[in-house]
Amino acid sequence: MTPFIYKQGSSILHNLDTRYKFVIMCLISMGILKALFPALAIISIVLIAAMLSVGIKPLNSFNHIKYFLILLIFIFISRALTTPGEPLFSVFEVPVSNSGIKDGALVSIRFLIIMLLGMIFSHTTKPSSIKSAAEWFLKPIPFIPEKRASLMIGLSIRFLPLIIEQAKQVSDAQKARCSDNQKNPVRKIARLILPILKKTFQTADNLALAMESRCFSEDRTDPEFNKSGYEIISLILTILLVLILILF
Amino acid sequence: MKNLIQVKKLTHIYSDNNYGIKDITFSVQSGEFIILAGKNGSGKTTLLRHLNGLLSATSGEILISNNPIEKNIVEIKKKIGMVFQDADSQIVGETVFDEVAFGPENLKWERKLINKKVESTLKLLGLTQLADRNPATLSGGEKRKLAIAGVLVMEPDVILFDEPFSNLDYPAASNLLSLITKLNKNGITIIIATHDIEKVIAKATRMIIMDDGHIKQDGVPDQLIKITEQYGIREPCSSKLNLGIINWAN
Repeated sequence: MTPFIYKQGSSILHNLDTRYKFVIMCLISMGILKALFPALAIISIVLIAAMLSVGIKPLNSFNHIKYFLILLIFIFISRALTTPGEPLFSVFEVPVSNSGIKDGALVSIRFLIIMLLGMIFSHTTKPSSIKSAAEWFLKPIPFIPEKRASLMIGLSIRFLPLIIEQAKQVSDAQKARCSDNQKNPVRKIARLILPILKKTFQTADNLALAMESRCFSEDRTDPEFNKSGYEIISLILTILLVLILILF
Repeated sequence: MKNLIQVKKLTHIYSDNNYGIKDITFSVQSGEFIILAGKNGSGKTTLLRHLNGLLSATSGEILISNNPIEKNIVEIKKKIGMVFQDADSQIVGETVFDEVAFGPENLKWERKLINKKVESTLKLLGLTQLADRNPATLSGGEKRKLAIAGVLVMEPDVILFDEPFSNLDYPAASNLLSLITKLNKNGITIIIATHDIEKVIAKATRMIIMDDGHIKQDGVPDQLIKITEQYGIREPCSSKLNLGIINWAN
């Protein structure tokens, strides 16, 4: 099972109020964007400890982000090749500078840490709590219907796997009728997309009816947030951590 | 028993000028267990959607407890719940608990009351241990139970089922029928639209046969069972072999 999917647990991170988790994640992400190598080493140790405490195996988790790691390698190479500085060596006559390598490594490690942070967040937070927290944060913003927005988030989380499953079924059904012989990629995609869209709209129609039959209204009961008692201390520790990230 | 639903000369014409149902008149009494039988396209689903207030009639009217259905549509939807054919496209929540809480949240019940009602409904349907599960990971039978829980939590007087046994294996269908029977014994009126009457006929107190948008027969299942094939509905195997009606429930 991918660590990006919520898994029931009883750790402090599992029980923390999602609104605080959101704020903590945003603060750490902003701190990471300013952090240099020593600070990144500190936050990496903190994150690995957090991963172990919530039941994510750090080495195993890299297997689930292998495509993202390829992207990071591209970022590193492009930074190394394009950042100006004193040339260290050259690749196909393109000079690679010391500052380019440092800059590339810094940016790649920052992205990697933010990705791990997101992994911990999604592993320890119920999708319904994410929806509720989004609704709570959007409430004071004028002209944004927060209940509708949170419902859209919830439905996306709920129906994305269903749409992917339907797409797989359509693809398999076409492969069973030798669609692999079709070499033109545009035709291939067109043949795949039309039935998937049709199915998706049908599902959306049925869903709208089912919601209506259960008295759907935007004026609904407000979401509930459970507090673990560790919220304030977690926030204070996060602010201290962010200060360390920025200062070192 | 009192008249719970009265349908008077109900007609529905779709936007492409095709008739969905024509001139339908019947009444439902409290506590009945009705099979609405008919082949595909006979108008069963259209009629169910009218009873749940999802469609507006072209002509005719529906009275719920002697009040026109349009009078208080939210109260009607709470009183008359509907379980759709495809449980996957009916389930809205990201967890089993959230799914059951969806209806009460729409009715703006207090959070404490919602939690209490959801917990008792999950317990009644044996879904308590699945409360935190993602509905997508449930089996077909569990999904169907969850769809029923989502309706049952709103304490309806009537539950409408649209082809509830489709895509279910024998044990799941048998468990589902036992559950529906239990709900009926608890006083909930049941109306099941199906073309496959074999699974449910042993428990029904009445059968309405529809064909081409009309009600063709309305009576006791025992008396209608031998004529179902005239309307494109397969006669149960046991009846064909003169073995009577076999009970599918546990």
